[in-house]
Amino acid sequence: MIQIAVCVCLVPDTASVFGFSGGALDRSRVTEVINPYDEYALEEALQLKERLGSGEVTVFSLAPRSGSKALQKTLAMGADRVVLVEGEGSDPWRTASILSRALTSWYSDSLPGIVLCGRQSTDFGSAEVPGMLAELLGLPSVCGVGLLEGGQDGVFRLEREIEGGREVLEVSVPVVISAEKGLNVPRKTSMRGVMEGRKKPIEIVDGPTLEEARVGLAGLRPVSNKKNCRIASDAGELAGMLHERGLLQ
Amino acid sequence: MSDNTIGSEGRVHNRLMVLEQREGVLKGASVDLWHRMQMECGGSELRAVLLGPVDGENPLGQLLGSGVIHHAGDERLREYDPRLYGAVIRSLFEGEGCSELLFADTALSRDLAPALSVRLGASLLSGCSALPRDRSCSRRLYSGAAEGNFVAASSRAIFTISPSSIPLELATGTVPEVLPLAIPALRGDDLPSIVRQVVMQVGMVDVAEAAVVVAGGRGMGGAEGFTLLEELAFLLGGTVGASRTAVDEGWRPHGEQIGQTGKLIAPRLYIACGISGAVQHLAGISGAGTVVAINSDPHAPIFEATDFGLVGNVGEVLPDFIAAIRDFLKMQ
Repeated sequence: MIQIAVCVCLVPDTASVFGFSGGALDRSRVTEVINPYDEYALEEALQLKERLGSGEVTVFSLAPRSGSKALQKTLAMGADRVVLVEGEGSDPWRTASILSRALTSWYSDSLPGIVLCGRQSTDFGSAEVPGMLAELLGLPSVCGVGLLEGGQDGVFRLEREIEGGREVLEVSVPVVISAEKGLNVPRKTSMRGVMEGRKKPIEIVDGPTLEEARVGLAGLRPVSNKKNCRIASDAGELAGMLHERGLLQ
Repeated sequence: MSDNTIGSEGRVHNRLMVLEQREGVLKGASVDLWHRMQMECGGSELRAVLLGPVDGENPLGQLLGSGVIHHAGDERLREYDPRLYGAVIRSLFEGEGCSELLFADTALSRDLAPALSVRLGASLLSGCSALPRDRSCSRRLYSGAAEGNFVAASSRAIFTISPSSIPLELATGTVPEVLPLAIPALRGDDLPSIVRQVVMQVGMVDVAEAAVVVAGGRGMGGAEGFTLLEELAFLLGGTVGASRTAVDEGWRPHGEQIGQTGKLIAPRLYIACGISGAVQHLAGISGAGTVVAINSDPHAPIFEATDFGLVGNVGEVLPDFIAAIRDFLKMQ
């Protein structure tokens, strides 16, 4: 039976109001949700388990204890259990190090066949954790995967988009894969799923605090995209404006 | 070989940049980065590593300015292989005693840089909006609502740099020295290779690399509406992009999506048609030069981030706009 690990982080809902005070996000006005990219990763894990007819899907998340409420959704979607690694996310290196230790200690002697992550988070969006995690685990990785097939014989066929084309890859388990938007359509949670999810375990483990951050956040400021717009009266005038600016070549 | 002197306080960092080729052609984004670094370093020598063979006569002729290019032209590096690419870069970086490694922000560097940062024990700063200064750089966060300034804490650092629309001033008269570089012996702990095949779509310029981008959103009304945008993009020598809505509706492929969950673009001219301008979209175009918007809603937020605007239904005004542009182009 294949072990499938899914790494999930919590991010402010993009529908929230983003206010900033004292160089940090004002968290009183945001709701924390599962990172949308991680939902693609989880959905792929669930589909893989269904396709193979067996498997165990474990969600790992570095989050404060209060995050377990938002993580319930992963159980309602169909994950078998959640391992909440207690702590705060900081720089990608520390996050990857903590997740790597959590995975090796949870699975002790053998790594899971596949570790699925979202390509990036929607808050800081560095897209670095999956690749770092793979290297720390000593596994190959493929980032930004838009198609994942096979797996029955321990070999996956993948596709990922590159500039002006796509790459087709074949990888053997164990492997770390990060999910691009469009990999699948994450399922909605049903009432039954929510009820069943409540019976499944959320294990809380201590996050190690050994690693130092390798990147510091020196400052954070709200930005404005404002420009002074000149409105043209018709299409001809608009084209004239571009011509004047020397933009038509 | 002299060290590169970077930074206002005369701090010395030894920088190495990575030049990328795909299918035997130098990648525009990395050529652009080479020239941006030339502009900034003011005559001191740049050092770069180019991975894989480059085809054609005088294929490196487009790289101007002084410096040294270590060219690992081995056929085995023609296609991206994280194991080999990592080994070549690591061996040169360590052998030359470098402290900073720079990449253009591309699909390749997004894949390779995180693993390399672990191997080198380096800080990793991805998606920098400009060249790093004093080991720090900025990047948009929270769907583009904020900008964060990040600083490398380790003695080694890797930066991946987003495209920029700031015009280049090319140094002329000097060309870099090219030195051949062999693939180092691989260590036993290197990961197995992954079988790869690259399928390129001919004639498709990526939105992240195009000088002109014409994009459509909900206001295009459907996939057919994009025919007009293709015509306009062709006329301007540009490429077509799309808003998240247009991609979610299935009108355009995901690779064309511009914004926080798509690509960050930096064309000199960006034309948004029927795109309302959600903050996530605006984050994706913050590097663009001149922004033009056509939208039927005069209160659409896109107009606040626009240099030149036109209020009107895209389906009605675009044919006139295309005709007017064609007239101007004929005059030249």
